Amino acid sequence: MMSTYNMVKQEFIKKWITTLHMLDCSVEHPLNVTERKNAIKLSSDIAMAAARSGSTVWSRALISRSGNKTANKPVARRILKKARNRLKNRCLTLRRNGNFTAKSGVRKRTELLKSLVPGGELIKNKDYLIRETLDYIVYLRAQVDVMRTVAAVDSVTGNLTNDNK
Amino acid sequence: MSNRRSSRQSSSAPRISDDQMIDLVTKLRQILPEIGQRRRSDKVSASKVLQETCNYIRSLNREVDNLSERLSQLLESVDEDSPEAAVIRSLLM
Repeated sequence: MMSTYNMVKQEFIKKWITTLHMLDCSVEHPLNVTERKNAIKLSSDIAMAAARSGSTVWSRALISRSGNKTANKPVARRILKKARNRLKNRCLTLRRNGNFTAKSGVRKRTELLKSLVPGGELIKNKDYLIRETLDYIVYLRAQVDVMRTVAAVDSVTGNLTNDNK
Repeated sequence: MSNRRSSRQSSSAPRISDDQMIDLVTKLRQILPEIGQRRRSDKVSASKVLQETCNYIRSLNREVDNLSERLSQLLESVDEDSPEAAVIRSLLM
């Protein structure tokens, strides 16, 4: 299972580099800290979803959700369009779940889980929801691990900068 | 994974079955060391497991947010041609 997880991370890294480049080309520099943060997060989320080959609800919902945030970024829209087209043939129309009041603890927490997993609110079958959740968590973990590694660079480059100067 | 399959099996039962819970817990144990502490193999509290799962997802999302913030601040002072940028690039490769 470890090697599979490493493959997930590798795939995420590859996709993240692409999305970072594409977003970088399409935004007006210089960015302020918040704009850059949003661009980083957006590119990271799109990369995570794009890294998931195959048709999971969460990845498609995440790409769809990210589409709303890229209204002003034509290049980002191109990535999303590419990702959506790849999945078009395996596209499934998910019906919207009806509203129902959550009574028991399990019901209530299942609803909560549905709200946390992208596209979860569209999944009626609990078995399916659990499978999607587990899949989503693996990719989320990979996203965090990679971003953590990159963020840790500052302690490394601190030394490098001194050497180069 | 078609829509038809999931609608055929749409469960309106208020509780997740024991089999599903055991499956979920087994898989989650591999990912979340904290859940592994629970030794009650039969009656696993579905509610508790769901709650921990939700908490975990929330904390991961928070971390992504924090890391995005941190990376943004990190890159604030980085020129495209600087050694830092080169290191980041090589790390990502």
